[in-house]
Amino acid sequence: MLGRSLTAARGFCTSNSDKIVASVLFERLPVVIPKIDPVVYAFQEFSFRWGQQFRRQYPDEFLKKSDARGKGDYQIDYVPAPRVTEADKSNDKRSLQRALDRRLYLLLCSKAYGAPNGKPVWHFPEKVYESEETLRKCAESALQSVLGDLSHTYFVGNAPMGHMVIQPTENAHDLQPLKRFFFKSQLIATNKFKIEKCDDFVWVTKDELLEYFPEQADFLNKMIIS
Amino acid sequence: MMRIIDFKRLKSLSSSVDFSPHQLIQRCSVSGTSKGKAKVKGGQTLKRSKVSTKKGKTTEPTEKPKGRRTSEYEKMVRDCLDASAPVRHLKPKEIAREAEREKMGLISKERAKEIEMMKKKKSESESGSPAIMGTPGLDLITLGLVDAEKIPKYELTVEDGRRLAKEYSRVLMRKHRARQAAESTLLRLKKEAIEALPENLKGAALVPDLTPFPVNRFMATLTPPIEGHFEKINEAARKSSVKEKLR
Repeated sequence: MLGRSLTAARGFCTSNSDKIVASVLFERLPVVIPKIDPVVYAFQEFSFRWGQQFRRQYPDEFLKKSDARGKGDYQIDYVPAPRVTEADKSNDKRSLQRALDRRLYLLLCSKAYGAPNGKPVWHFPEKVYESEETLRKCAESALQSVLGDLSHTYFVGNAPMGHMVIQPTENAHDLQPLKRFFFKSQLIATNKFKIEKCDDFVWVTKDELLEYFPEQADFLNKMIIS
Repeated sequence: MMRIIDFKRLKSLSSSVDFSPHQLIQRCSVSGTSKGKAKVKGGQTLKRSKVSTKKGKTTEPTEKPKGRRTSEYEKMVRDCLDASAPVRHLKPKEIAREAEREKMGLISKERAKEIEMMKKKKSESESGSPAIMGTPGLDLITLGLVDAEKIPKYELTVEDGRRLAKEYSRVLMRKHRARQAAESTLLRLKKEAIEALPENLKGAALVPDLTPFPVNRFMATLTPPIEGHFEKINEAARKSSVKEKLR
């Protein structure tokens, strides 16, 4: 288990000449509870109806007494908002209102470090580690450069949640193996976000995320639960 | 003191609670002291067990419309107190006793009501639509949380109940095990990542982060939040409270 990285099968111990990149998995937690399995609902309904059989049936006029509105109560009827928003129907990947019952992850598109030939590539917000105090601070500065300020972010813990060792294959650019450490951070308390310093950004669910990174699909599958 | 009878769980999946007037008789004193013991006589009905409507008794002969309303009120109260369940829960001893009594020709009031209801049910047809759980606008089916078509069909029998319970437990256990496996994978990946860090950063990463969680983290709810709704409600509440002060 020790030293077994998941993309390349090299069992080196860490040498200080490796380039270390701190990248951030920025997620928006689900806003709505997920769909309920019909089997589960069937059982709940069955137990409810079974129990109702043995409960006293009070006369309807007694039960309707609670519907009488008192004087001075504000008469605003609550109409619940739909769970499938317009962003869902239009599949607008840039809005945060899209898949409300799932987690959304941030992806940027720009000329990333370690990308072949400087072409814009989809990647997580990341920064090369250069002698800061901790790797988490490096990750925070990475996120700060993208978002502007860190007031609505929350970094979960000091330790990274996973790492990837990327061996450069055909490229003449970076001959050093690259180690990418992922830090988890969560979005708090806003609906809209201004993302600068990149050509494009997307908020994606887990399945779409796996499409964006086909080679690292199983590693990402393990690292991200839903 | 009210005593709740616990029915043994026989074949039904739930226990029922049956209140009848004879249980409201005070059998022992409630206070821990000897104060007031002289007042309690065994077998006396508690004062609060009677719903007394003095209005109805005095005003009935004088004002007709008020009397009618109070008698409606009394009728509703009587209906509530005499309300019975659609299906009576009987232990096997009680079932045997009722059968014997019927042979002798004595039928209890509840048994008579049951026979009437069975006759009515035979003449009427059953309502086929699935029973709505919870408040009409906000139950799970209309909100889109459950697909109404995929719910398996079942009757209200014990075997179907057992089958449904088995499937329910199967589904939930599968999900639980998957979640536990995923969480342990997460932990394993985290440990590997920490091992892969260079020495100077490893120490910092191993320090547990004890800063408290953010208080304003949004908790997932049934429906998404409506923008501006909270302010509207506050406005309306403030306005209504202002009105009351003027009066």
